[in-house]
Amino acid sequence: MPETLNLTCIVCPRGCRLTVVKDGDAVSVSGHACPRGEAYGRQEAVCPLRSLTTTVRADGGARPRLAVRSSADLPLSRLLDAMAALDGVVVRAPVRAGDVVARDILGLGVDMLATDNLEEARHE
Amino acid sequence: MAKPRHVDKTRGSGAETGALPLAKALDKLRKAYGTGIELRDDRGSLALEGAVATWRDKIDAGWAAARFGYRGVVNDLAVPGLEPERLEPPGIKDCSLDGLAVDVAVIGGGVIGASVARELARWNLSIILIEKEYDVAVHTSGRNDGMIHDGFAAKPGTKKAWYNVRGNRLWGSWARELGVDFKRQGSLVLFRGRTSAAAYPLMASRAKENGVDGWEYWSRSRVRAEEPNASPGQHGGFFLPSAGSLSPYKATVAIAENAAANGVRVSFDTCVLGFDLESESIAAVRTNRGTFRARAVVNAAGNWADAVAGMAGDRFFSLHQRRGSDLILDVTTGVTQKHIMSMPSLFQAREKTKGGGLVLTPEGNILVGPTARELPGREDYATAPEEIRELERHLKVNVRLSLSHVITYFAGVRPCTYEEDFIVEPSQRVRNLVHAAGIQSPGLASAPAIAEDVSAMVVRVLERSMAVRPRADWKPHRLAPPELRRLPLEERARLIAANPRYGRIVCRCEEISEGEVRNALRSTLPVSSLDAVKRRTRAGMGRCHGGFCTPRVMEIVASETGTGLCDVLKKGEGSWMCAGPSKSGGRS
Amino acid sequence: MSVGLQSMETDVVVLGAGPAGLAAAVSARSAGARVLLVEREDRVGGILKQCVHDGFGLEKFRERLTGPEYALREADAFRASGASLLTEAYVTSATRSGDSSFLLDCVSPRGVAQVRARALVMATGCRERTDRQVFIHGDRPAGIFTAGLAQYMVNVQGLLPGRRAVILGSGDIGLIMARRLTLEGVKVEGVYEIKSEPSGLARNVRQCLEDFGIPLYLSTTVTSVRGRRRVEGVTVAAVDGRSRPIPGTERELACDTLILSVGLIPENELAVSLGVPLDGATRGPRVDQNMHTLADGVFACGNAVHVNDLADYVSESGRVAGGAAAAWALGGPQARDLTPLRAGPGFLYAVPQFVDVLSGERGSVFFRSNATVAAGARVSLGAMKDDDRRELAAKTYPVLRPPELERLVLPPELPSGADSYILDMERMDGGGNDA
Repeated sequence: MPETLNLTCIVCPRGCRLTVVKDGDAVSVSGHACPRGEAYGRQEAVCPLRSLTTTVRADGGARPRLAVRSSADLPLSRLLDAMAALDGVVVRAPVRAGDVVARDILGLGVDMLATDNLEEARHE
Repeated sequence: MAKPRHVDKTRGSGAETGALPLAKALDKLRKAYGTGIELRDDRGSLALEGAVATWRDKIDAGWAAARFGYRGVVNDLAVPGLEPERLEPPGIKDCSLDGLAVDVAVIGGGVIGASVARELARWNLSIILIEKEYDVAVHTSGRNDGMIHDGFAAKPGTKKAWYNVRGNRLWGSWARELGVDFKRQGSLVLFRGRTSAAAYPLMASRAKENGVDGWEYWSRSRVRAEEPNASPGQHGGFFLPSAGSLSPYKATVAIAENAAANGVRVSFDTCVLGFDLESESIAAVRTNRGTFRARAVVNAAGNWADAVAGMAGDRFFSLHQRRGSDLILDVTTGVTQKHIMSMPSLFQAREKTKGGGLVLTPEGNILVGPTARELPGREDYATAPEEIRELERHLKVNVRLSLSHVITYFAGVRPCTYEEDFIVEPSQRVRNLVHAAGIQSPGLASAPAIAEDVSAMVVRVLERSMAVRPRADWKPHRLAPPELRRLPLEERARLIAANPRYGRIVCRCEEISEGEVRNALRSTLPVSSLDAVKRRTRAGMGRCHGGFCTPRVMEIVASETGTGLCDVLKKGEGSWMCAGPSKSGGRS
Repeated sequence: MSVGLQSMETDVVVLGAGPAGLAAAVSARSAGARVLLVEREDRVGGILKQCVHDGFGLEKFRERLTGPEYALREADAFRASGASLLTEAYVTSATRSGDSSFLLDCVSPRGVAQVRARALVMATGCRERTDRQVFIHGDRPAGIFTAGLAQYMVNVQGLLPGRRAVILGSGDIGLIMARRLTLEGVKVEGVYEIKSEPSGLARNVRQCLEDFGIPLYLSTTVTSVRGRRRVEGVTVAAVDGRSRPIPGTERELACDTLILSVGLIPENELAVSLGVPLDGATRGPRVDQNMHTLADGVFACGNAVHVNDLADYVSESGRVAGGAAAAWALGGPQARDLTPLRAGPGFLYAVPQFVDVLSGERGSVFFRSNATVAAGARVSLGAMKDDDRRELAAKTYPVLRPPELERLVLPPELPSGADSYILDMERMDGGGNDA
């Protein structure tokens, strides 16, 4: 029994409307304007992947939170688990953008990287 | 300083000999509002009991009863589906006032209570001002258009007329002493047509009767010259130069701060729960923060003044609530008119309010309103779409205004007696209680005069048991904190050099610095809510409505009060700004 | 130290250090001008600093960056440029001084400076429309936040604005916040949109709502808020074709937080004080292709001109404005010959609103359609002379959506002597425009 998915492609701002038909292992994509769109549609049918952008707690910094991102996309279904795992992460200022703040999150082989600099707190 | 003097009442009070007999009164009321009504002569007041069908009937019955010649109307008529409202004390419970003994307790931190406290502080008295909210001017005193009326609109012979004209005169010196921005722009009442223009002699004679400080007839062309943006439909106007405006909450804050600087203790989150009565006097005041003794008590409890009177066994009146809403227009509209302007229609003259208009504020905003609707809810400030539509018509008075200038709107509730006049008098049943109740519009304008008289009444009460002498170190002047945006650059530079926080702007719409926010939190009044900061500094009052400055002000409040960011409140108890820190594992 | 006023002089002052202002400062500096960038906060980067989500820089850097990453790159370029920076500084007034310079009063914790400059670049961004500006009724309890304010609280301060939220408006920040709050454990009851289409980008509807099962209710709005101290709930109602609530469709929702994403308004109070005329459709200054406003020497860029959907476009307009401001400041006032550029039926607006035919710069026309054109459309720019229309540029777009800004590159040569330029839309399905 083929399964049909109607998606909006999110690879670029163009937002093509994709139709993805999944029949057993066979996946066909239509409506895309580029190969990246086709690959996206295929992936969505099998296992949707998303980047995770959030913050972690920071000690001794000019601000109490540090912005972070995943080094690669994670399965959509694991985003909330990853968030829970990040609750306990605390970085110590100073931090530079690109620094790894958590390694191999949930054993998925993906790290969390700082996306901002965090200077040490100045005391007035 | 003038010796406190007794004010001759402008109207008699107490059970009057000429009152309509009870049976006749009952007959009239039942005919109009149904047979569910019962009447009782409650020590000279007319008590309405039983039930009527609607809220409107209850109010109308109360007004009708007020014409029967009794001392007051106590309206306990039930309305199906509406529970009687109860005064709800704050959740805070402690003993901070236990064992205290003061000469005077003033109940209510509105403009009346604060003004009475300020006046009483001229004497060698220990005074406490108790307020159930987190700040002064939270209710009616902070929710009006700030107009200092000329006194023309009040009915001749009423206390309203008497106190309004006197209060208007006093505001000049009060504002100077307190560092409050008060402008007498004058009020221009435009004539809608030839018929209303013909009413000028009547208006002038009423102004004269009330003792109003000046009035003029302005021709159509004079109005055009003075107010080029006035509606082209105007047929000249009636100009009252003594009218003005000020910020009602800033003024109340200033009065209370000055009172506190003169030794008045201000206790917020403090609500009267009852009184201990001994030999026809209040011996002690019971509150959620402890019980204390007081030689004299002032009831300035605003929308709850009847409830407070009842706690002392002296409920000879009751209050109904007239809600009013105003629009606030962008600060840039202020340059489009020079005076307070209105253009009443003739039928409005019969209504119980002046019908509203355009009040130019000292800050440059124009306030449009207020509306007047009889609704239950002593503290219900929800606005409704039809009120905006109703206020839209006032915008036409100035051709440059439109709804797109509206930055926000608010509602207030006027505490009204059924006699529709102020009550400013010593209690006839409780020897040490003075009432300042039913202070609806023009209460703000009248406040200084009411305060003088109430203070004199209290002093007379106290003189029975103690010697009352002027306080030697009474300070009439309040050093207002600097408002940097209004200072010359050189002066700003000097202040910033002394305190760099004056150079850090936190509210970009209103140009308010961190230093000014900190000053608001460091005044003689113990406040810490965001709205208290907003009322004092205007931070968050501009066109972005706090979108940018709220987090900064929260941080400053946390740093000044030594609490965590998560404990910062918007408007007192229960008004939390955030549910807690993120990353605390609250995810399910 | 003297306590008096400090004086400064420079060629170009840029107001606001978000992506527009940073790009303007870099570009003006690289054109040889002395540049002073004035920023109200203590760090450059503007609102990007709180936009921890990704999707920025696809055009400019060909990479999917987060807001802070995009801001850091622009900040690095700014530092390398040698332009000067005043942080925590606020311009309280700007006046023209003589024919060719401006005087700014600038307040900061370091004192008050009077800055003289030959050209100004307004990169002042935008603010959020509030609950009262969309006429939501009820009291004013705690718990009503604009989406940007909620974003600042969550991402910068680490605070949760509530536990159970309703979001009004499907603008991009509202959609982003729906996801952000969900990730942080806040229950998002739904997103309510008064219009019949989402206001935000399609990819945000997908990634922020559908991914997390957050419902989107179209043609529905919040009419009032319940609660005196803190929000206790809201009333939502369906609206008719003219956005008026339909009686009888009201529904009560329990929540402790209402988040508003109901539009952005360019901030131009300072520009207006200098006599800069605004466009009623964009609410920003009317500009030519050099981002020069109708007030000589005053340039504007980024979201102060019109609300952009991509930071990349904001940077680009900053680059144009900065370069032109430097040329104006260094070369002295130059004659302009402004020909109006109008958007025909089917558009919300087009920017620039004028073309200076004496200027060598060409640039692009940015526009938004006023409704979704699913079938696609051919958009063309014509030069009007008397009643003749001569086509100058055209491009076919597979789809046009109001939330998405589109661009049409101007040709290198523009004919002189046109009465006006006009942007026209030809729908692929042959349909008319209900403008």
